[in-house]
Amino acid sequence: MNFHLKTALSSLRRSPFQALAAIFVLTITFFVGTAFSVLIYSSSQVLSYFETRPQVIAFLKDGSGVEAIVSLQHKLSADIRIKDVRYVSKEEALSIYKDATSDNPLLSELVSPSIFPASLEFSLSNLSFAQDVIKEMKSEDLVESVGFTASLGGEKTLQDVVSRLRKVTYYIRLGGGIFAGVLLGTSFTVLMIIISMRMIGRKDEVEILKLIGAKSGFIRSPIIIEAVMYSLMGVFIGWLLTLILVLYLAPWIISYFGQIPVLPKEPSAFFALFGIILSAEILMGVLLALGGSNLALTRARRKK
Amino acid sequence: MIRFKNITKTFGSVVALKDISFEIEKGEFVFITGPSGSGKTTILKLILKEILPDSGKISFGTQDIEKISDKELPLYRRKIGCVFQDFKVLPEKTVRENIQIALAAIGVPEDKWEKRIDEVLKASGIEKRADFFPSQLSGGELQRVSFARALAVKPELILADEPTGNLDWDTAEEMMDLFEKISKEGITVIMATHNSWIIDKMKKREIRLKEGKVVKG
Repeated sequence: MNFHLKTALSSLRRSPFQALAAIFVLTITFFVGTAFSVLIYSSSQVLSYFETRPQVIAFLKDGSGVEAIVSLQHKLSADIRIKDVRYVSKEEALSIYKDATSDNPLLSELVSPSIFPASLEFSLSNLSFAQDVIKEMKSEDLVESVGFTASLGGEKTLQDVVSRLRKVTYYIRLGGGIFAGVLLGTSFTVLMIIISMRMIGRKDEVEILKLIGAKSGFIRSPIIIEAVMYSLMGVFIGWLLTLILVLYLAPWIISYFGQIPVLPKEPSAFFALFGIILSAEILMGVLLALGGSNLALTRARRKK
Repeated sequence: MIRFKNITKTFGSVVALKDISFEIEKGEFVFITGPSGSGKTTILKLILKEILPDSGKISFGTQDIEKISDKELPLYRRKIGCVFQDFKVLPEKTVRENIQIALAAIGVPEDKWEKRIDEVLKASGIEKRADFFPSQLSGGELQRVSFARALAVKPELILADEPTGNLDWDTAEEMMDLFEKISKEGITVIMATHNSWIIDKMKKREIRLKEGKVVKG
């Protein structure tokens, strides 16, 4: 085993409570960090879901020719503001109506396909295009009228829902960022204090090492390795705790949100998400440890 | 090998060394003697470049000590082994580990450690205590550990600051035999001491200090 790693491990064993304090604080930081990362991902997914669901329905005039309809469909598909264009025939419209009124069969018995207009449904890549697109659709000869999906949770339009979700997402990101920042700052300070205490504890050793010709890198290495070890342990435990918690809550989360993909459905995508979070946190943990230990070492050197 | 030329060193208003000059040849065994506060330890610290003189010039071979940069300092110190009155061994490491750390610090490859450790432990007469912790050793044994560590780095010069100060006469005599032995192998030894019995017994060159001045040597 590497000499510095051995020295760092023996230092960790010698003062287990300092080590535990550092690991505990870092674990909390990265537990919260991972949880917020998942929350930010989920809120983005919810936002994206509402932003991209079918939003505009262009009801077509009776007697519109197939060629004209296909031509309009192609035109819409080529528009970068528009996604997922779908033609809904009169029969399909009746079927949708029947599904929607399945609890009252009498209502569906009274209607025939002829009363439902065929339509072209599509969603928008960004809701800010809604007004322009609806205006353009209304000017099309084939189009009788244009509907914009609305009403969810009492809001007047889908745009209201999305704008509310955007606000929520923004506050989650902001709040999460501030909270994670405060925790990172706390971890940095705790790490620095513990490394400073280690330096005080190793004062004699450092003095001897300097006298026998040890380079500053040799003296600093075990301290930096120790800080990196604390950080990596904190990252891994914090991340693992969040992973276990999310896995435990996943069935409930999925059933509660239904079709909204708040978590990746595929196991590979789910673990890829956590893998990306872990990688980012390892990088952050190493930077935190290097920053904290170097600052502590520089302060110790200045005090001499 | 070591040359002090017109060295003056003060600590605030206290004059530790006052315009002293002397030379020590390679392989020489020299005592630096004098009462407490006469400047013995200051000389050793100046050689190690722990402190700098106020004026004058110190040379180690062809090297001007003052011109050694912070980056070069560890390499310079690797030429010097130190033995201290208070041993300065690491209490949480075994005898073997105390020597290992010195070898690791100067960059000796790990596969060469064991051979070198065995050699110096044998030369210092503590091979049977290799896996003991300092708390399990006597004063004389601790001084031997300090000696073995100094020797492990294959120094050109050994600086010993009152190495017998904490030892009884018999043990002190054994330690002096060890110093004598390495001196005969060509290693320069500079020993600060006020133990007149040892100075008389060893019959080596003596640089005697009094109030920061060389009065003999």
